Amino acid sequence: MNPLDFIVLIGSMLGIAAYGMWRTRGRRDLNAYLKGAGNTPWFAIGLSVMATQASAITFLSTPGQGYAGGLGFVQIYFGLPVALIIIAIFFLPLFRRLNVYTAYEYLGRRFDGKTRLLGAGLFLIQRGLGAGLTIYAPAIVLSSVFHWPLDLTIISSGVLVIIYTVAGGNDAVTVTQKYQIGVIFAGMFIAFGLLLSKLPAGLSFGDSLALAGGFHKLEAVNFSSSLHERYTIWSGLLGGTFLMLSYFGTDQSQVQRYLSGSSLRESRLGLMFNAVCKIPMQFGILFLGVMMFVFYQFEPPPLFFNDTSRQYLAEHGASERLQALETNFNQTHAAARQQLEQWLTARHNGDAAGAQAAFAAATTAYAQGEQIHAAAAKALSAANPHATTNEADYVFISFILHYLPHGIIGLLVAAFFAAALSSKAAELTALGSSTTVDLYRHLKTGATDGECLRASKWFTALWGVVAIGFALYAHLVENLIQAVNILGSIFYGVMLGIFVVAFFLRRVGGTAVFWAAVMAQALVFALYFNLTISYLWYPLIGCTACVFLSLVLQAGLGRPKQTNASAT
Amino acid sequence: MKSPDPVEPRAESEATGLPGFRTWTKVYLFVLGSFALWVGLLIALTMTFS
Repeated sequence: MNPLDFIVLIGSMLGIAAYGMWRTRGRRDLNAYLKGAGNTPWFAIGLSVMATQASAITFLSTPGQGYAGGLGFVQIYFGLPVALIIIAIFFLPLFRRLNVYTAYEYLGRRFDGKTRLLGAGLFLIQRGLGAGLTIYAPAIVLSSVFHWPLDLTIISSGVLVIIYTVAGGNDAVTVTQKYQIGVIFAGMFIAFGLLLSKLPAGLSFGDSLALAGGFHKLEAVNFSSSLHERYTIWSGLLGGTFLMLSYFGTDQSQVQRYLSGSSLRESRLGLMFNAVCKIPMQFGILFLGVMMFVFYQFEPPPLFFNDTSRQYLAEHGASERLQALETNFNQTHAAARQQLEQWLTARHNGDAAGAQAAFAAATTAYAQGEQIHAAAAKALSAANPHATTNEADYVFISFILHYLPHGIIGLLVAAFFAAALSSKAAELTALGSSTTVDLYRHLKTGATDGECLRASKWFTALWGVVAIGFALYAHLVENLIQAVNILGSIFYGVMLGIFVVAFFLRRVGGTAVFWAAVMAQALVFALYFNLTISYLWYPLIGCTACVFLSLVLQAGLGRPKQTNASAT
Repeated sequence: MKSPDPVEPRAESEATGLPGFRTWTKVYLFVLGSFALWVGLLIALTMTFS
């Protein structure tokens, strides 16, 4: 990073935050603070919903997933369009008609206080933990770039988002997200263009696709019926629909975004904007990773994309072993590259047999390189059992730092920061709102608007501090984006089940659904720790279990005392 | 806390305001159509290069 990068990074981040605070100065009304001024157009809602879901993790980790695993991850979003249509038809009109601040306020009206608290509690637990991961991701990037202490990076980025979120409330989040996503898209498009320009001169786009396909990186759709395969078209369509329905329909960080629309039309169109654009967007980010894979077949990749891993081995008595591994790795890469160049020549000359033989030799050399990489990861684990051996999160940032020009580096780091702040801000304001509306008002009946406004600001700040604290102690099992999705999958299904009962099963009352939800959540925990099925199935299991148990319990309890018909 | 209850118009009969899409059903069909198109293209990509 040189001074130009710093100017781009600091200028864009502080500028957007300051603009958000200035635009929302003087928000003194609780309704405006929690819901916004009520004049947000559909396009801003659409971008806000998109920015809330797409955190820094999306832009940092997803290209690495494309590099390592190809396009298969895109299937997780196959359930999104149907889920958003269901929300636009059933959830949204009811939330707006009842004029609720939070999704869980609706549960209180439909069922009772304890079910509302349960819904809010499930949200606060999983989103509170998820917020820690959201803030951890850009901290890795910046600590890697600046060689700053990780803790300092987490705290400084967390404090910035707390300041403008607490000051401006919901509208500050929407206003800043619009510009933050502009920075993100600008950075990603420029990175993609520069990556394509850096591919070898004789390698056409068609050659790149053929190369990536030969290494199984373009297998976007997997028709396997195995429950243990993480990403298949079936887990995407079925499990993904339930996951997205749960996230967009019951997670306050999203509900708050689309409820800020000036009308039902604006909110709906904002959701439909995402239903159309999300899959192409995720495909584009994954495809960037696939093209990085092609690029690194002709440029020597480092043995470790995470430079900290290399340094650790070098400094802890394994420098000779490291040097030997690096030498072998570079030799196999050179051999693979030579074969790929022969493949390219044969392909351009129409020599199909020669091309096939050269490609087979290249894949053999590549496999040897992967074995060396696995040996290096094993050596790292032996030297440091707590070291992160999953490299996917470091591939893109390593490429940016080593191959992109100054100014663009600053823009890309700003894009990661923008993505982190935008999703973080939405999470904090949702956590603060839910704590105020669903918990604080219950404990302090008769609280005035002014007291609730002050409480909301304090709770938002408090959740920011909790997220920072969690991020400081986050140890990631897999890569970042998967950790967030797995966490959501464990809690979301039951939450969705409560809402499905609320919307569609009028004869089920609060007591039945409350205990059904508790049992269903216990079941999901038990299954998660005992089965190895894809995490995408847990929202479906949790939701189905909650609905089924609600019906059984209600049958045992007899007719509920009363049901709020206007809330169904 | 204020809780004004503005009555929304009947959800599905509200105008979409989009040229060519007079009803919400048409909007949803367009969304599903674009989704089907993307899945089809991704399947074609998978088949072509696997």
